[in-house]
Amino acid sequence: MGRYILRRLLSVIPTLIGVTLVIFLFQRLIPGDPAVAMLGEHANAENVARIREQFGLDKPAFLDRDALAEGDLPGFFDSQYVRYFGRLLQFDLGESIHRRIPIAETLKERFPATVELSLLAMSIALVVGIPIGILSASRRNSFLDGATMIGSLVGVSVPIFWLGIMEIMFFAVIMKWLPSGSRLSSGIVIKPITNLLLLDSLLTGNWVGFKDAFLHILMPAISLATIPTAIITRMTRSSMLDVLQEDYIRTASAKGLSERIVLFRHALKNAFLPVITIIGIQAGTLLAGAVLTETIFSWPGIGKWVYDSILGRDYPIVQGVTLLIAIIFLVVNLLVDLSYALLDPRISYE
Amino acid sequence: MTNGTAMKPLMEIKNLTTRFYTQDGVVNAVNGISYTLDPGEILGVVGESGCGKSVHALSIMRLIQIPPGEIPAGEVFFGGRDLLKLSEREMRMVRGHEIAMVFQDPMSSLNPVYTVGFQISEALMLHKKMNRSQAKVRAIELLNLVGIPEATKRFDNYPHQFSGGMRQRAMIAMALSCEPKLLIADEPTTALDVTIQAQIINLVIRLQEELGMSVMWITHDLGIVAEMVHRINVMYAGFIIERGFVDDIYNHTLHPYTMGLLGSLPSIDEAPGTKLISIPGLPPDLIALPEGCPFFARCTYRVEQCHQERPQLENAQEAGHTVACWRWREIQGFGVA
Amino acid sequence: MTELPPVTEEINDFAVREHRSLWLDAWRRLISNRTAMIGLVVVAVFVLSAVGAHFFWKYDAKMDLNYSAKLLAPNLRTTEKSTQIHIFGTDKLGRDIFRRVVHGGWNSLRVGLVAVGISLSIGGLLGLLAGFFESTDLNRRERTILMAALGLGLGALPAWIARQPFQAVLFGLLGVASSLLHGKTSKKSSPRLVEYGLAGALIGGTSGFLVGPMVALVCGLVGLSIGLLLARPVGGKVFSSIVMRVMDIILSFPSYLLAIAIVAFLGPGLEKGMIAIGVVGIPIYARLARSAVLSVTQKEYVLAAHSVGEGHGRILFKHIVPNILSPIIVQATMGLANAILSAAALGFLGLGAIPPEPEWGAMLGDSYKYLSSGAWWAVLFPGLAIMFSVLGFNLLGDGLRDALDPKMRV
Repeated sequence: MGRYILRRLLSVIPTLIGVTLVIFLFQRLIPGDPAVAMLGEHANAENVARIREQFGLDKPAFLDRDALAEGDLPGFFDSQYVRYFGRLLQFDLGESIHRRIPIAETLKERFPATVELSLLAMSIALVVGIPIGILSASRRNSFLDGATMIGSLVGVSVPIFWLGIMEIMFFAVIMKWLPSGSRLSSGIVIKPITNLLLLDSLLTGNWVGFKDAFLHILMPAISLATIPTAIITRMTRSSMLDVLQEDYIRTASAKGLSERIVLFRHALKNAFLPVITIIGIQAGTLLAGAVLTETIFSWPGIGKWVYDSILGRDYPIVQGVTLLIAIIFLVVNLLVDLSYALLDPRISYE
Repeated sequence: MTNGTAMKPLMEIKNLTTRFYTQDGVVNAVNGISYTLDPGEILGVVGESGCGKSVHALSIMRLIQIPPGEIPAGEVFFGGRDLLKLSEREMRMVRGHEIAMVFQDPMSSLNPVYTVGFQISEALMLHKKMNRSQAKVRAIELLNLVGIPEATKRFDNYPHQFSGGMRQRAMIAMALSCEPKLLIADEPTTALDVTIQAQIINLVIRLQEELGMSVMWITHDLGIVAEMVHRINVMYAGFIIERGFVDDIYNHTLHPYTMGLLGSLPSIDEAPGTKLISIPGLPPDLIALPEGCPFFARCTYRVEQCHQERPQLENAQEAGHTVACWRWREIQGFGVA
Repeated sequence: MTELPPVTEEINDFAVREHRSLWLDAWRRLISNRTAMIGLVVVAVFVLSAVGAHFFWKYDAKMDLNYSAKLLAPNLRTTEKSTQIHIFGTDKLGRDIFRRVVHGGWNSLRVGLVAVGISLSIGGLLGLLAGFFESTDLNRRERTILMAALGLGLGALPAWIARQPFQAVLFGLLGVASSLLHGKTSKKSSPRLVEYGLAGALIGGTSGFLVGPMVALVCGLVGLSIGLLLARPVGGKVFSSIVMRVMDIILSFPSYLLAIAIVAFLGPGLEKGMIAIGVVGIPIYARLARSAVLSVTQKEYVLAAHSVGEGHGRILFKHIVPNILSPIIVQATMGLANAILSAAALGFLGLGAIPPEPEWGAMLGDSYKYLSSGAWWAVLFPGLAIMFSVLGFNLLGDGLRDALDPKMRV
């Protein structure tokens, strides 16, 4: 088992390097001169020079063969990518083009909002999806099962940004029940501890703050949770159905175990393995979906930030956030694989 | 010819019927079978695959999935009550406790994510109300009983660490854990090597003698059955077509189908080069059963009557057992002059 | 005892039911599946209306502008305020939303087909080859080609550094040599390492020397490592693992975040969106095809084909491809749904179709800011159009899975 974990850990490293490479290559996709593209046609020369310097645009992309031909070995490696990679190793994501603030700094400010939203959405997806999936598998072809199947298909088919807009229209514009955007009403203060507002307000016993934060997060969390809920429900159901066909389920019933124990003790643990993989993948869906959801609900997280940066052509921000999300996604999937080793005794002996 | 002493049967099945509703139509898997099983008896249930032998066992255990399955008629008297009329909760107390079952494929019949020991203990904790440590002691005893070496160590192993034969032993240990009155073994040796098969058969015979339970041994292999069982039910298309003590059936085979089954057994005595007899054709479509004898289409002895009327199981005095065939007298040369 | 007449007539197997081909069988199951039929109908409506509108209902997006009729609510009858019938209402520029929704369907259909086409053709082919060569030994010719390609590919690095294209060719030849000579010296593998390492270092070093001493050093070292890598001819596993590693890298981005990022850098446009969505989808098909191939190559009919000496190409396309089609068809159907959804998301973020081109996501993005004015119709109908077309493909894909899955055959 130790070897399995080690092997899996090591396998992340090349992938991670590949990821930085892909993100670095993003800026090669920019048509024309990147500095001009970022600053616009009428940028002054000083700014253009600054951007060139920041990106090392006067250097070659990967390796400087001209420097080598002149016998300059260190110069050979002095390139855009190597500089970029070197900065990443020092947790330096560069700075914003327009505001000239280090990206990592703004990230620290904005990331908790996205984490809070994603965690709540994932919790909704798990709490709703798994029990419904189990129930509809155990009552196959019942009305509930049919409704679940249709409902989950609709769930994966709804554009979440449209769902968000519809929610705003109904709950905020027409019924005026819920606020349509941002994390808190103005005037409400929650003492920051973790910067997860729901948690902080609970920790400080700030009930007014909690209620306000909860009302604000409700709509974005629900619309963000739609797709993961639907997918987790479907996966739980189909995985349970597969497992319920297995011979060992019949063995368990033949022992005289009740349906509940057969379902929850014998079927669920086996059925859960593929579900965990899906949950890992949904973590990515959530982080990517945050771009849309946060945009609609003016949620001050990294998704909205990416959207604003795309409009403002502040490419280093887009690169930085994409990298962060990719790394989180990689780590989540790593954890998923490792949890496999814990859940499935067969893996450790491969 | 019966046993002479009027023994009270352990189980009495009357008119058991099982169907499945599928997209293509209603599959008549078991069609009104009736028989009795005595305490301590080893009964062999023989037939081709798809003849309803497994389904009838699962119906006794009420492990048929409903829907698509259905048991529209029949009674299964066991210990003085009709199992088919018990509540689900009462039936659970029968499963694993009074009737236990061993399945065909030991590779897939054990849950891969729990230890073998836990899976044996489970039934003990449920039916015998043992706590975990008592169950463990008993489970290790059982593993020893079925001949698994180093049982204490093996208790904590997962199924994938067991070989096929050992898994089947573990399955038997699990089935016997609560000292059932009836053990149903559903082709328990089909998936195993021939040498392991013999070990498992001997194990069951030994345990039957030690524990005195009844055994129902389901198989498609008449050769296996002959050595170990007392009585045989031959099933075809969901019907019992011949039933009796082993010797009677072997010595006075009445049904053409049973003859075919016996004929397809290779024998050492036969001269090399002797052709094995095979039964031509396939069993009937269980969705559209023929009105007459189900074996009609493949039978070499068929007459018009076989096409029109379905023969019922009747007592063939001369042969000492029962058979469902219109022409058994003529076939064996009994009676009709 | 009566004489038993032997039955001479043919024994008829009435047990054998009517013979049905796999595809016919699947089709029957599909049309007997209610949800799949609903999906099929929705998809048909979507495709026919989009294609019909594109070819037979002229619409010039650039000229469509009517401020006097802006943000009109849906009406089924003409009134004083709206002199024309707008069953879906009008948007902020007074354009008929129904018309734009129908024409937007053409764009969605295009995006879906092109994106899935890209993912399916590239991903499917890569996965097919990866799976096949992972489970099958390469024959001599294939191994030579692979080794030559490997030598050329790796040799490109020192060749680029020293600006000497012929270097890559030399390394390619080294690969060919390694492949052809394999077997003669395979027992003693360590001398081979030395030989090939030296050869590589020589190729790199001497030709690098023509440019400069430092170049000679670097190219020599690179050449040495390439030589060591080429010393032992590789099997198909190497090809497979290179392909799958690249797929892993793409997969380590949440798929449509990657699409958003690509288009963000490329600049907006429907065609760029199609390509981005297509590229992002490649790994899904590659993985699917690979695992399907891996499960099929162990089947008896493939082993049988090998044993009678059929060529690899023939085995691949005659025996393997037909047997992995069903999961791919299902995935492609669902992939269409996904592509339409992603394209709408891009459009919504302003990264898709360039206005005034009608596109569902962009229509939503344009109109949702006017929500507070109560113009619900401007966001409702484009959204419903997205939802129903996506739902249609998803229902169809689901039904196809049930219909094509042989496990479900009773």
